[in-house]
Amino acid sequence: MEFPCDQWFERMVTSASKDAEIYERLGFAEFRLVFEVVAGDDARRFGLVLDGYDVEYAGELADIGTFDAVLSGPLDAWREMVDNIEANGRADVEHTLIRLCLAGTPLRLVAVDPMGRDKFFRYAETLQTLVDATASRLTQV
Amino acid sequence: MAIGADLEYYRRAERGEFDLGWLRDVRSEWGVRAKPSRVGLTLSDIAIGSYGEVPDVAPRRTMAPRGSDIDADVPDMGYTINSKAEVWSDNVMSLYEEAVSRQWSATRDIPWGDIPELDPDIEHAMCQLCTVLSEVEMVAADFPAKWLWRINHDYVEAKMFLCTQVMDEARHTEVFRKRALANGGGLGKSKAVVEQFLKLILDADTYDEGSALMHLLGEGIVLSLFRAGEFLSPSPVEKKIFRLCMQDEARHVAYGTMHLRYRLARDPSLAADYHAYLDRGEEIISMLFTTPDVVEPTAILAAGGVKQAQELAMGATDIVRGGVVQEYLERCEHAGLPRWDRITLPPEMLTGVVGLTDREVP
Repeated sequence: MEFPCDQWFERMVTSASKDAEIYERLGFAEFRLVFEVVAGDDARRFGLVLDGYDVEYAGELADIGTFDAVLSGPLDAWREMVDNIEANGRADVEHTLIRLCLAGTPLRLVAVDPMGRDKFFRYAETLQTLVDATASRLTQV
Repeated sequence: MAIGADLEYYRRAERGEFDLGWLRDVRSEWGVRAKPSRVGLTLSDIAIGSYGEVPDVAPRRTMAPRGSDIDADVPDMGYTINSKAEVWSDNVMSLYEEAVSRQWSATRDIPWGDIPELDPDIEHAMCQLCTVLSEVEMVAADFPAKWLWRINHDYVEAKMFLCTQVMDEARHTEVFRKRALANGGGLGKSKAVVEQFLKLILDADTYDEGSALMHLLGEGIVLSLFRAGEFLSPSPVEKKIFRLCMQDEARHVAYGTMHLRYRLARDPSLAADYHAYLDRGEEIISMLFTTPDVVEPTAILAAGGVKQAQELAMGATDIVRGGVVQEYLERCEHAGLPRWDRITLPPEMLTGVVGLTDREVP
C-alpha cells in the first residue's frame, strides 16, 4: 500500500467501527479535517469527518470546502509518519500528529479561524488513535 | 412564604388521597417530546418549547428550571449575574456535552508504570514544569467555582459547562502532581510571579475580567504549552498526559473565545474594559516569560538536556513562545477584540509572530 491512498484512510473508518468501545471512551467529536499531501507543485487532499462517534472518509477532495482545518505537508513527511506507525504499531514520540505540526514544519495546521484550528487540539487523542490504527493489525500493540 | 407543616394535607396523604389534582392547573407543556440525536439526548435536543427559550435578562432569581410553573413567592437567591450576555456562548451546550463525553482518569488512563528512568536534569526540568502546571491549573477551578453561585439558573447550561471545567482542572492538578511524584524528582519551586497572575484572576472584580484573563489569556497560553508538551515530553507517558490535558484546555478556550465574541457583539462598548484587563494580564505574562522556573525547564526539555539547551539558548523555547502569542492574538481577533496593535509584550517576545509588522505594532 503506497500512501496516500483510499485504503489508508479507510483503515481509520474500519477501526472506528471495529474498536467502537475505544472511541466511545475517548468521547465524541465534531470535526472535519483535510489531510493535504504536497508533492512538488501538486497537492492532493483527503477528507476525514468525525461526527459524534462515527468516522467517515470523505474521499479525495477537489477543494477544502466546508472543512474545519487542513493538515498539510510534503509527501516525504507523510510517508515517514506512515512508515513509522507501520513499523512501531503506533507513532513514536517524534511522529505524532501534534509533534509533527508544532513548529509548522514538516506538517502545518491551517484553519479558516482559530476555532477550527483549536478543534484539532480538542480531539487530538481521537485523531492520534485513528492514525495509529492505520498500522496493519499484525504489528499493532 | 408561610413556614409550617401543612398537617391537613399530611392527614389526607395518610388516607392515600393522591390524585395529582394540584398539578392539573399547572402552566406546562404537556406532550413535549425531545428527540435524541445520534450521540444520545443532548442539551441541544431538549432546548425546545419554553424551556428552550433562554431569556436575555432573567425575570427571576430562582433555581427553578426554565419552562416550569414557578411559585410566586419563591425566595430570591441573590444572583448577581442575571443577563445572558454575561456568561453565554453559542457553543456552550455542545461544549458541555463534549466535556462529559471526553472525561478521562489520571489514575486509570496514564500508563504510570511505563515512565522510564530519566537523566536527572530532564527529570528535574519535568518535575519543575509539573509543579508550575499543578499550581496554575487549579485557579481555573477556583475562579469558576467562585462565580458559579452568582450566575442565574436561567443560564444553567453555562453553569454546567463551568462545572465540567472545575472537574477538568482538578484532574490536571492531580495528574501533574502525580507525575512530579512518580519518578524520583518530586515537586519543585513555586514563584511569586506565578501566584501574582493567579491572584489577578481570582481577585477579578467581574466575571468579564476574570474570564478574559483566565479563559482567553491564561488558558490560551497553557493550551499552547500543552500542545508543546508533545515536543517537550521525554517519554510517551508525558505525551499522553499533555495530549489529554490539551483536549480539556481547548474546550475551555473555545468557551472563553466564543463567550467574549457573544458579549462584545451585544455590547461593543465593553471592548475598552476588556483591553484594559488584558493589558494588565499581558504585563504579568511578560514576567512569566522571564522567570527561570518557567523558562528553563521548557528550554531543557525542548533541547533534550542542559548542554543542548545551552547551545540552543532560547531557540527551542522561541518556537513555543511564538506559537503562544500568535494563537492568543488570533483568538482575540476572532472574539472581536483585535490586539495586534495593542499587545503590551516587549518586542523581544514578539519575534516570529506573524501579522504584527503589517499592522505597525510598536
